[in-house]
Amino acid sequence: MKLLLIASCLVLLTAFSTNADVPKPKTPDKPKLILHTGLEIVPDAKLYEAKLQISQSDFNNLRAALDGGAGSSSPVVGSIAFSAPRTIVAGLLMFMAVSVAGVLIARSSSVGRAQKTVGAVLLVAVLLGAAAIITRGNAGPPGSWRWRNLPQALAEGKSTVGGVDVEIVPDDQMNGRTMRLIIPLKKQNSPGEE
Amino acid sequence: MQNATVIDGWPRRATPTTIPFSAIVVLSVVAAAAFASWLPLQVSIVTLFLFAGPHNWFELRYFLMRLPVRFGRSRNFFLTAFAGLGVLTLTHVALPFLYNATLWSEEAWYGVVGSWNTALLVWLASLVWLRSRQKPRANWKWTIPVALALCSLNWLGPDLFSLAIVYVHPLIALWFLDRHIRRTRPAWSCAYRRCLWLVPLVLAAMIWQLSLATPLADNNGLFWRITQHSGAEVLPQISSHMLVSVHLFLEMLHYGVWIVALPLIGRIGSARFWEVKTVPIARHPKGFPRVVAAMLVFAVVVVIGLWFGFSIDYATTRDVYFTIAIAHVLAEAPFLLRML
Repeated sequence: MKLLLIASCLVLLTAFSTNADVPKPKTPDKPKLILHTGLEIVPDAKLYEAKLQISQSDFNNLRAALDGGAGSSSPVVGSIAFSAPRTIVAGLLMFMAVSVAGVLIARSSSVGRAQKTVGAVLLVAVLLGAAAIITRGNAGPPGSWRWRNLPQALAEGKSTVGGVDVEIVPDDQMNGRTMRLIIPLKKQNSPGEE
Repeated sequence: MQNATVIDGWPRRATPTTIPFSAIVVLSVVAAAAFASWLPLQVSIVTLFLFAGPHNWFELRYFLMRLPVRFGRSRNFFLTAFAGLGVLTLTHVALPFLYNATLWSEEAWYGVVGSWNTALLVWLASLVWLRSRQKPRANWKWTIPVALALCSLNWLGPDLFSLAIVYVHPLIALWFLDRHIRRTRPAWSCAYRRCLWLVPLVLAAMIWQLSLATPLADNNGLFWRITQHSGAEVLPQISSHMLVSVHLFLEMLHYGVWIVALPLIGRIGSARFWEVKTVPIARHPKGFPRVVAAMLVFAVVVVIGLWFGFSIDYATTRDVYFTIAIAHVLAEAPFLLRML
């Protein structure tokens, strides 16, 4: 029996080491998100050539993101999510806040057991909500919402403002083009159309 | 131990009616929102030029009126208040110089700003604790976890926390006015609190209307500075028109409270705010009339200097003003706590 177990272990270990030696399958390069910023599309009847204007600050952010190599997004989200020391300090302070609040709720003599339970549940709910908001900093209406009236605005000669993610795409995936603007437009059914 | 000699400089009066008061408050809020939404940059320039200095003068005078002749049992509270006020103001003013003199990384600067914000919160929590010791019935222990939670949020995004201070500070004036009305004209208190519900509604309407507005043209140094002060760089995905308008709306309410509402509600008819003797610590036999007079005259000189500076170089003066103005933001905390 012991021999059988040892043999089984040996077979399993061999299988793991064999699998570990298999090279990782080569996956095609994916576009890398480096910046989230705002974009305004302005129709101009007087121009003969399309223009792409980038603000100095966005250009600096773009260059910094490329130099840094990390996939930082907007300055806001980046400053919240991508700093280990600050996240640790924030976590410790939040831990202390929750601990002190819990002790105060537990020690409070004027509060009944039911109210304490409600308070504790609310505290946990608020914490979870805050954590969800922080980790999902871009929560809210989807980006496509701002672009929904783009065709109508273009037809009327008006500008449209919305968010845009700047991605760096490998050359072989661009089909010979150098830049591409992809707008998240949903097909809208006209009245009466099913 | 000697008790603090608190002097109430405002006599209580009976009020005939609250309707004109409510109408003026509603009209002021709506007018401020309309102007701030319509021409945010232009109105911001004019508003700051005209009212920034005078509102600081009125605030100084108000704080002098709330200051006791002898600190008594409040000695530790006021010592902590003034020490924190001095240290935090000096360090805040030093930050731009430090920024220009050093080549720290962005992350290091987040650490510096986060540390300053933490020091501010610790100072506020200390003041609350000292104040709560003078009010045995008040249970302010809940402020400790709140302060810790705010410190935590600050470290997640120090620049966002600093921006939050910019937006929250104008609203503190409304709190001052609430406490002041409760003391001097209690009959108006209910109407005032009802009118306050208009502020979040107007803010929501402004945000709804302006969130998709075209960003403001910040193609010159001055307009760029105005949008930066409102947080356009920290929140690039939000329309700068909305940010500047909301900030300007709150600032206009702030100025209105300090320059118009608080001086007028205190002593309608007999208000002579320029007279030193109207300040209790100058009028009191054991008071300091010369010190108070010197402070108020010096403040007038600063206001005139500010106007002169705005006329010569508006953008630079605006930068200097917003850096130094942190002092009046901080000074509001201890005096508000004294009124609670």
